[in-house]
Amino acid sequence: MRIATANETYLADEALIRTRTQWAWTAVLAAGLAAAPFALNNYWLYLACLVAINVASATGLNILTGYTGLVSLGQGAFMAVGAYTVAWLDRNVGAPFLVNLFAGGLMAAAVGILVGLPSLRVKGLYLAIATIGASIILQFVFLNWTSVTGGSRGMNVAPASLFGTPLTTYFQLYFVLVPIAALMVLGAANLFRTRIGRAFIAIRDRDISAEVLGIPLLRYKLLSFAVSSFYAGVAGGMWAYFFRAVGPESFTIVESIFYLAAVIVGGMGSILGGIIGATFMTLVPEVLRFGVEAISPYVDNAGTLLSPVRTVVFGALIILFLVFEPQGLAEIVQRVRRFFHLWPFRK
Amino acid sequence: MSDLLFFVEVSLAGLGSGALLSLTALAFVLIYKATRVINLAVGEILMMGGYFFLAFAAGWGLSPWLAIPAAIAGGALIGAVVERGIIRRMLGESPISVFMVTVGLGSVLVGIVELVWGTDPRTLPDFMGTAPVFIGEAYVSRKIAISFAVAGLVIAVFLALFRFWRGGVALRATATDQAAAYSCGINVPGVFSLAWTIGCGTAAGAGVLLGSIGGIAPTMGAFGLSALVVVIVGGLDSVAGALVAGLAIGLVEAWTGTYLGGEYKLVFTFGILILMLMIRPYGLFGTKEIERL
Amino acid sequence: MLGMTKRTFLALAASSALVAAAPAFAQDDGEIVMGGSLPLTGVFGFAGVAIEAGIQDYLKILNEDGGIAGRKVRLAYEDTGYQVDQSVAVFNKLTSQNRNIHLYYGDSTAFSRTINPELQRRGDILMAGASFATEINDPQNFASQFIAGPDYTEMFSILLEYIAREKPGAKLVFVNSDTEFGRDPIESSTARAKELGLEVVEQIITPPGAVDVSTEVLKLRRARPDYAIFHGYILAPLPEFMTQAKQLGLETKFMGTFWSMDSSIWDSVGEVADGFMGVMPYRYYYDEEEAPMLKRIREMRPTYQTTGYMQGFLTAMLMGEAARRTLDAGKELTSQNMKAALNSIEDFDTGGIVGVPISIPGNTVPVGRIYQYDAAAKQMKPVSDWISLKE
Repeated sequence: MRIATANETYLADEALIRTRTQWAWTAVLAAGLAAAPFALNNYWLYLACLVAINVASATGLNILTGYTGLVSLGQGAFMAVGAYTVAWLDRNVGAPFLVNLFAGGLMAAAVGILVGLPSLRVKGLYLAIATIGASIILQFVFLNWTSVTGGSRGMNVAPASLFGTPLTTYFQLYFVLVPIAALMVLGAANLFRTRIGRAFIAIRDRDISAEVLGIPLLRYKLLSFAVSSFYAGVAGGMWAYFFRAVGPESFTIVESIFYLAAVIVGGMGSILGGIIGATFMTLVPEVLRFGVEAISPYVDNAGTLLSPVRTVVFGALIILFLVFEPQGLAEIVQRVRRFFHLWPFRK
Repeated sequence: MSDLLFFVEVSLAGLGSGALLSLTALAFVLIYKATRVINLAVGEILMMGGYFFLAFAAGWGLSPWLAIPAAIAGGALIGAVVERGIIRRMLGESPISVFMVTVGLGSVLVGIVELVWGTDPRTLPDFMGTAPVFIGEAYVSRKIAISFAVAGLVIAVFLALFRFWRGGVALRATATDQAAAYSCGINVPGVFSLAWTIGCGTAAGAGVLLGSIGGIAPTMGAFGLSALVVVIVGGLDSVAGALVAGLAIGLVEAWTGTYLGGEYKLVFTFGILILMLMIRPYGLFGTKEIERL
Repeated sequence: MLGMTKRTFLALAASSALVAAAPAFAQDDGEIVMGGSLPLTGVFGFAGVAIEAGIQDYLKILNEDGGIAGRKVRLAYEDTGYQVDQSVAVFNKLTSQNRNIHLYYGDSTAFSRTINPELQRRGDILMAGASFATEINDPQNFASQFIAGPDYTEMFSILLEYIAREKPGAKLVFVNSDTEFGRDPIESSTARAKELGLEVVEQIITPPGAVDVSTEVLKLRRARPDYAIFHGYILAPLPEFMTQAKQLGLETKFMGTFWSMDSSIWDSVGEVADGFMGVMPYRYYYDEEEAPMLKRIREMRPTYQTTGYMQGFLTAMLMGEAARRTLDAGKELTSQNMKAALNSIEDFDTGGIVGVPISIPGNTVPVGRIYQYDAAAKQMKPVSDWISLKE
């Protein structure tokens, strides 16, 4: 809780950005994001784009898991639905890429509602397992519905084009992907200022109580699935334009675990958490890459250590955060912020 | 060869691999029954069992009959350490958090195996012999027949233990009502440790069997997912359910694999899973939980 | 207001630090860099490590002999764990750090496909890799890539030609894993088998990572083929198939494609492996026929080197040759020029890595030979001549 803020209306109390300091920081962040591509080399631009995609998807999962309390291990499959939709539309309809992205989101949302149906009967672990089942069935569809999905080979995607310019370099893609991701995050943050968002939170905290309070569980649970899958679908669509190839092996259960891990590590039920978590989990493996590079003169075959170490670190991060910092990185950030906010008046 | 004989052989093979699923499912059930944790790392513990066996039998040159118990002990040790070190700290956290901890644990174990043994698939030393087995006219793969016998025996032993052994009864008591079990003087934390130890030991044993059939690799933990379907279908807290559902899923997989094609196996298995979740989420033999405000 | 200006200042400082953090790398203009997204770990790890050794050894030989037109060649590579996103990340990292990457080794079909548009856009890299996918054998769409051997369909064709010669009208079963790798040559090869008068009596598909194959073996037994061709596997579940087939007294001969053909992976299988056959585009380390390059390899590495090593070695050799021909013609190292130079390779002597002089008319080197595993000698022995597929 910030001190020295007196709000006179609920609207002001709920505003995303409340003080001039926050406005200043936001402006700095926006300027930094806009300026970054001119300073970064191709590799870091690639990572920046990847982070944008992952942030979009993790934010979507956070809506479902962090805010509504429905655990899903199907985020990767929903992304695949979006990616395939984009690839198919791109090849067969040739609509502008923003339309394709939107359609990818809608298609994923439709599939999400379908997958969400078991959530009426089951929740918690059972639901998580149901989503695993659903993603395996979707995987089967991708692999065997050859006329639409291209079967085991998958599909290639033509570059997205904006005002007649094909977006082929990471530099160009950055200016499309990052704003879209930012917009999606903004949308999610605003969602929780509305009735729907508050209903989600009520369901998370105790769904039976929520029902007693007059929140139709069926509608809101499915809505949460739909919104979350929409995010995944759009993220998957961005992924398709980013990698320009979609195949059945592009999105596996590992991806779904990755996004859930990102949300956990970042902080469930926190928009900031989704952003930090996705960024952190995307960049940690790359940092390890540099770590391995640094020790390679001293250790034989250091290159072969990278992938196992990453696997260990990935698992260890999940465990450590759940055991020691269940609120995730967002909580740590809050703590740091509080410290500086009160400094030097608090020991 | 007649179609009927072929069908019988396919079914026998299905029952055989179903027995392996049952055995792995047993590990899930034991741990869930006592601690209400779905341990998704069972697949990886199973993999560890295979690698322990490789280390003891091929690395140290122990006879397989010493290496098997050693591998099981290794798996049990992991279970005990994990329970004491991580799971007990998570007492009272939401089941989802604990579930995710086991997902993380699985990843850590895979990484460790890759660091120690590398990522190449390995073959386990043969200890089952190669002479074919025939039941009447029907052929059964020897390894599958042995696995079936072992799995059947182990499950029978467990059923007996739950009935007659103090520890087994304590486990059942804990599963029914933790607080009541406490007040009866049952050492509930001890039961937790026991369940994890035995559960992971069972998984490791299943890993030795599985590894001797198809070889071992860091990716073999995926077998745990099929076993997860079995426990959901059979009921998360039912040993008999694990047995019945394991055999049933094994049969379904064998039939679909034979008459439709191998690519349909997984999709059928998980189709059953979702159907089951829609109709009877607590499984064929599981306990129905009633939620109250 | 003082507090605010302090924070604003801090924020500005932070953002300018972010902007300044971009690293810059200086590079020696003389050298040519071969980039590599190598699968040193993961399911393909066994091959990746060997491929790296093969490439390094060839580059060492090449550099000792003066490099390419006086320019040294260096391999810059990183592990990908056989994950496509990692392969792409490595590609971007290496191409950002090294200015003179003109050659590239990729680790998978999915990577070859994913990076293809980027290669076309850059236009300065010639790429080959560990994938023998039929899809890449398309000089139109994969203009900057090639395969240092036959593609999977061509491997099947070589096997089928051998079978047609050995046992006309033979009955076949194809066993494939349910992966992109496994499904690659099925359709085209079924048609090819028919042309050669062979009968494909059954197609068995195993789910990826399948362990227990009893039901599949029963299917195989019912079909009673003369030959069973496995594709999409490295080792498992082949040994279990062969063990059970032997128990059942099946006469079926088991065959595989390149990635199943390393003799060291069969050593641990033992007696059952005896008689396993397959198509191999390169010679084995221990082949006794006259081969100056093999001799040199044996001098550099006194112990057995796997098939992956040979693949890496030949890939590097062909890339080097393409770059050399381009530079000798006084042209720039563009994808187009290097590919044209590669296609100009005709009856080229590989120093015995391949048993016959090779030509690269398109994107592949369509030659191979059938080898058979001899469990007593723990070696693969040739059972046919080199088979070249002519148009």
